[in-house]
Amino acid sequence: MLSVQDLSIRFRTGEGHVHAVNNVSFDIAAGQKLALVGESGSGKSQIALSILGLLANNAETSGRIDFNGADLLSIPLRQLNKIRAKEIGIIFQDPMTSLNPYMTVERQLGEVLELHEGLRGSAARARVLEVMDAVQIPDAKNRLKSYPHEFSGGMRQRIVIAMALLLRPKLILADEPTTALDVTVQAQIMRLLDDIQQEYKTSILLITHDLGVVAGFCDETLVLYGGRVMERAATKDIFALPTHPYTRGLMRAVPNIHEPHAKLTAIPGQPPNQTQPLTACPFAARCQDAVMDCHSSLPDLTQSAPMRACLRPLEELT
Amino acid sequence: MLSYTLRRLMAVIPTILILIVICFFLMRLAPGGPFTSERPLPPAVMKNVLERYGLDEPLYVQLWTYVKNIIIAFDFGPSFSQKDRSVNDLIAQGFPVTLTYGFFSAVFVLVMGIPLGMIAALRHNSFWDYVMTGLAIFSQIFPNFVLAPLMVLLFTLALGLLPGGGWNGGQWQYVIMPAVALGTSYMASVARLTRGSLLEVLNAPYIRTARAKGLSERTILIRHAMKPTLLPVISYMAPVFVYMITGSVFIDIFFSTGGIGQNFIDAAYTRDYSVILGLAILYSVLTFVLTLIVDLVYAWIDPKVRSGLK
Ligand SMILES: Nc1ncnc2c1ncn2[C@@H]1O[C@H](COP(=O)(O)OP(=O)(O)OP(=O)(O)O)[C@@H](O)[C@H]1O
Ligand SMILES: [Mg+2]
Repeated sequence: MLSVQDLSIRFRTGEGHVHAVNNVSFDIAAGQKLALVGESGSGKSQIALSILGLLANNAETSGRIDFNGADLLSIPLRQLNKIRAKEIGIIFQDPMTSLNPYMTVERQLGEVLELHEGLRGSAARARVLEVMDAVQIPDAKNRLKSYPHEFSGGMRQRIVIAMALLLRPKLILADEPTTALDVTVQAQIMRLLDDIQQEYKTSILLITHDLGVVAGFCDETLVLYGGRVMERAATKDIFALPTHPYTRGLMRAVPNIHEPHAKLTAIPGQPPNQTQPLTACPFAARCQDAVMDCHSSLPDLTQSAPMRACLRPLEELT
Repeated sequence: MLSYTLRRLMAVIPTILILIVICFFLMRLAPGGPFTSERPLPPAVMKNVLERYGLDEPLYVQLWTYVKNIIIAFDFGPSFSQKDRSVNDLIAQGFPVTLTYGFFSAVFVLVMGIPLGMIAALRHNSFWDYVMTGLAIFSQIFPNFVLAPLMVLLFTLALGLLPGGGWNGGQWQYVIMPAVALGTSYMASVARLTRGSLLEVLNAPYIRTARAKGLSERTILIRHAMKPTLLPVISYMAPVFVYMITGSVFIDIFFSTGGIGQNFIDAAYTRDYSVILGLAILYSVLTFVLTLIVDLVYAWIDPKVRSGLK
């Protein structure tokens, strides 16, 4: 349904270019739940934004994002506007700033229905209430005329989710839908997304830096580092046997119920410098398995399982 | 909202009273008085004059009489320098003139400044953006006391299109140059403010959310970006309008509009206590009213402020 091919995103800045995403390819089938994981700055949000043409003005893209036959990177805005919200919904990372502080919640949700389905007045209100109930916003009827600042962070996150669900899009891009929330609410929201996905058969691209969130939710996981795919595998395989040194490092930083006393270790070193085009594996500098060649060649993602972008054979990894 | 407005209005009264007291004493601290001049009056005449205006009484009695007359009769007293004119007369005559072109000047500032700023922001680094930058620089080089003579040179002397001064009951030909000369530099500031504000708003995450909904750029601009863009402009306009009214002295003199600015200058030269006090009160009431209006408009636009007002 969605096929991202050789996507690169770079930003023009005062100090040259920032190569945020480098030749990323993946696809999502109808009804699939794919996770995009990676540490902060690895390019997850920019990938999601590029799918809907929402990148900042200083962004340059190359590659193709195929959605039901159209290339989202090159179709005219007019056509893209028919796909936005209607076919592909997005849940933004920061619910505190992504709602308009000067408009009531009803108006912000209602305008989506008005635009795409011509619904107004009581018909629109009924639909708005229906999704607000679906995301379990208590007392929704009396809160329609409230402004974003009158809701707690968790409630705002639900409103942002409700907005993405309004038109039951075929694909939802969920960018850290739970990072702003405490753990109990986090679990609730994830269950909610799961229910909705089951009910509407939506595809979901779940973006997170938290492997714990992915574990119970996504069929497949794509591991990103320095704007490049390091590994792609079924989520259960990633947990059972990560095949890339970076993924292994990530796993060591996730608490494990089977070994509650195991030591948690963060990956030493800093995120990569992205001001130069990639010529070598971006993780090499922090990789404990790196050999000489790792610093000079850029392995591609293998096309059959195990799908990994690493010079070192799986058996030789520590 | 209503009770808030009333409360604000009630607060004006004590503030004005305090202001009267301060102005009253400040003026007396300044050397000289309304009747000192190069050639001193004979002591007998002086005594008569002082008695006539109650200036021989102790200060606190003078203050009390002044305040009492305002409260009871809304009477700001006689002018000390202009024979047989009361402060009420002077204000009633001059203030409407200044207020009229001041109002049109403010309209000019907003009607030109806001769209210009928005176009400059939307066509970032384009022709219009440069026009605006040029205008901003232009208005810095040509403040109103340079701009006014230039305009007269062009529109009156060279082209013969507009009268070079006078008021003539406020016909538009007479209003236009004072209003434009007074407003141009503020217009440039409003344009710059609007430009910066819109550029910032368009980068806000909630505008990205609006785009993600599939709304057209035009709808986004009008429905989502307009209000927050105008907020800083609105708060800027309250003091500016007061500056425009109080700072119109030059315009009043240059265009001989008969506006209140002329009275202000005269009164300052002649130590005309009652006129100065009267104008100080007028200006402060104006400031209060405008600030209140701006706060109300602000609250109307910004729900966060609104819920804070209850
Ligand atoms: N407008 C921009 N100009 C320059 N660089 C940018 C711009 N937007 C993003 N970047 C850079 O792109 C890189 C990837 O950013 P992105 O937002 O995708 O990270 P992320 O993986 O979502 O991280 P997080 O988990 O913190 O949200 C970062 O290094 C960021 O600094
Ligand atoms: Mg992000």
